Amino acid sequence: MQLVFKLIPQLIAWTVMVLLLLRGMPGRRGAVLISAVTGFSLGVAGYLLLSRLFPVTLPLGIIRSAVGGSFFLLWSVAVAALYRSTVRDFPLLRVERLVGTIYCAWGAPLLTGMVAGGIGASGLPRLDNSVLQLLAPLLLLLAGALLVLGARSAEQRLTSSLGVTPSAFLAALVALLLFSSSSSILLDLFAPLSMKVMKGTHDFVHQFMESILIPDHVFIRSAIWGYIGFLFGKEVGFWGGMVIWFTPALLIALAIRLEPLPSVAHIRQGAQRRRLLADAIRTKQYRLVIPALALVALAAAAYQSSFPNVEYWDPKPLAVTATPAGEIFIPRKGEVELEDGRLHKYLYKQGGKEVRFFVLLTPAGKLTVDLDACAICKPDGYGQSEGMVLCYYCKTLIPLDTVGKPGGCNPVPVPFTERGDGVHLDALTLVNSWSRTVQSTTSSKGGK
Amino acid sequence: MASTIIETAGLTRSYGDICALKPLELSVPEGEWLSVMGHSGSGKSTLLNLVGGLDRPTAGVLKVGGEDLLGRDEDGLARFRREFVGIIFQQHHLVPYLTALENVMLAQYFHSVPDEAEARFALERVGLGHRLKNRPGELSGGEQQRVCIARAIINSPKLLLGDEPTGNLDHKSTTMVLELLRELRAEERFTIIMVTHNQEVAAWGDRTIYLDDGVLVREERKTG
Ligand SMILES: Nc1ncnc2c1ncn2[C@@H]1O[C@H](COP(=O)(O)OP(=O)(O)O)[C@@H](O)[C@H]1O
Ligand SMILES: [Mg+2]
Repeated sequence: MQLVFKLIPQLIAWTVMVLLLLRGMPGRRGAVLISAVTGFSLGVAGYLLLSRLFPVTLPLGIIRSAVGGSFFLLWSVAVAALYRSTVRDFPLLRVERLVGTIYCAWGAPLLTGMVAGGIGASGLPRLDNSVLQLLAPLLLLLAGALLVLGARSAEQRLTSSLGVTPSAFLAALVALLLFSSSSSILLDLFAPLSMKVMKGTHDFVHQFMESILIPDHVFIRSAIWGYIGFLFGKEVGFWGGMVIWFTPALLIALAIRLEPLPSVAHIRQGAQRRRLLADAIRTKQYRLVIPALALVALAAAAYQSSFPNVEYWDPKPLAVTATPAGEIFIPRKGEVELEDGRLHKYLYKQGGKEVRFFVLLTPAGKLTVDLDACAICKPDGYGQSEGMVLCYYCKTLIPLDTVGKPGGCNPVPVPFTERGDGVHLDALTLVNSWSRTVQSTTSSKGGK
Repeated sequence: MASTIIETAGLTRSYGDICALKPLELSVPEGEWLSVMGHSGSGKSTLLNLVGGLDRPTAGVLKVGGEDLLGRDEDGLARFRREFVGIIFQQHHLVPYLTALENVMLAQYFHSVPDEAEARFALERVGLGHRLKNRPGELSGGEQQRVCIARAIINSPKLLLGDEPTGNLDHKSTTMVLELLRELRAEERFTIIMVTHNQEVAAWGDRTIYLDDGVLVREERKTG
C-alpha cells in the first residue's frame, strides 16, 4: 500500500511526460507510444538488473548523470533560445532541430522512459517475500504502460491551441525528470546543487578573505562577520541553487515572450489583419503554458528536495555512562541488538558536554563506532536509509560500506576495542574528539 | 449567377405550443438586399435570429455560406456571429458609458484585437468623424444608428442583418441610414436582410418577402 503512495509522484510525472512527448511530436503518436512503453520497461528491468549485479550506487549514478546531463543541455538550449529571440536569424541548436523528427519520436520517449522507469524501480522497496519481490516491478510496469494510454487519451482531449516550441518541450521534459528524481533522496539533484553552490561560495570567500583582501582578519569589525557569516550559511546555497535551478525555464519563457509578432501591416482588410494578429498573440500565450508547467515541476522538485518524504531510521540516543576508570561499555546484546545492521545512537554527558555517537555493523560485517557528526558540517547528525546514512545538514549520502572511514562528510570514527561481550571505548578520547570536531565546524566559521 | 449565401429547408422554430416559424424554404443569393415584411408577431425577428446564429431552429436545415449552421456547437456559433454577421437592431444596444469610438473598438476587441485607427476610419465613413468622443446619449437617433452600422461592419461581415433599424427614425434620418447602407454594400459587397414594417423602406431591397403567422405568403422582386 505504501508502495503505491510512494510512487504516485513519479507516475504522475511519467504521465505528463508522455503527454508532452505526444504533443511535442504530433503525427508520430505510434512511435511515441511504442517507444515510451519500451523505454519504461527497459528502465525498470535495467535498474533491477544492475542493482542486483552491482552495488546499487551504479544504477543510481547512471540515473543521476542522465538527469543532470539533461539539465546541462537545457541550460544551453535556454541561452540559445533567449539569444535567438533577441538576435534574429540565430539558427536552432542541433538538439532543438531534432525535436519533431523521426529520430526524436523514437529516441526521446525511449530515453525518457528509461530514466523514468529507472527512477520508478529505484522507489520499489526491498521485500522479503519473493512473490511480492517479483510482483512489485510487474505492477510498476503495468502502471507505466496504462498511464501511457491514459496520457494518450488526455492529450487528445487537450485543446489543439496548446502549442509546444522545441525549447519549451525540453524545458518541461527535463523539469519533470528532475521532479521525478527529486522524490527519492538518493536521486535528488537539487540538494547537491545547493551544496555545490554553498561550497563554491565558501571557497571563494575564503580565498578572497585570506589571500587577496587581508591575510589577517584583525581589521574586520565583528559586525561584518555577520555578513560574511551569511555567505557561509545554508541560505546562500539554497538561493544560489534556486537561481541555477529555475533560470533555464525562465529564460525560455522570456524568449517566447520576446519573440516578435508576425508583421501583418500588409494585409488591407482590417478584420483579417486583426484576426491574424489576435491568433498570433493567442498562439504565443499558449506557448507559455509549457514553460509555466516546467516552472511548476521545478518548484515541486525543489520542495520535495527540501522536505524529503523519506523516513529515516533515527533512534533516540540512549544515555550511557562511563566507569570510574573512564571506560564506556556497550553490550553486544542487551537493550538493543547491536549487530542488526542498523544505526544505534548513544549519548554521553560529561560536564556541560553532550557527546552523540553511534555504533553500526557495516555490510562487511564489522562493527564501527563513530561520532554522530562529521568533520565539515554542523553536527546535525545522521539518519539511515537503505544502504546509506545521510548527513542531515548537507544531505550527503554515505554508503554503509564506507562508514567508519574518515574524511569528507563521513562520520568521524572513534577508536574502540571489541571484545566478546561488546565494545569498549575511552570516554576521554570520545569527548575530546567530539569537542575538536564540533569546534572546527561551528565556532570558527562566523558562527553559522 | 451569384452563389447562395443562405439556404433553408423546412426551417421551423416553435416556442412550446406557439409555432413562430412554420417550415420555411428560403434561398438568398450572395450580395442580395432582402426585405422581410409582415405584421407584428408574424415571425420576422425569429427568422432573423435564426439566420444570425442568435437562436437555434426546432427543426429543418439552415445553411449559411454553404455550411450547416446546426452542426456548430455554442463556441462555433459564437465564432460564426463574430466573424460572419453584423446586426443592427431598432434599439441601438450601444454601451451608454463608452464613446462612439470605444463602442466600435469593443466590437473589434470581441472579434480579435482593437485597432483605434481603423475604428476611427469606420466612423468617418458613416459620417461621424466629428462625433468620435461622444457617448450614445449625446447623439441623435440617426447618429446612434450610424454608430451601430459602423460597429456592425467593422469586422467585415458577409451578412448584415437589420431588425427594423429605422423603426425609430424620422424620414430624413431613415433616408440617410439607407443611403449609407447602399453605399457600404456597393463597396463591401455584403448581403443585407432587413426586417421592416414600412413599405417604403422595404422598397430599397432587391426583393421583399412577406411573412404571416410564421408562413412565407408572398414574395416580390423589384422590377426595373
Ligand atoms: N422567446 C419567446 N418565447 C415565446 N414566444 C415567443 C418568443 N419570441 C417570440 N415569440 C412568439 O413568436 C411569434 C413571432 O415573434 P417575432 O418573430 O418576434 O415576431 P415579429 O418580429 O414578426 O414581430 C410571436 O407570436 C411571439 O409572441
Ligand atoms: Mg420583431
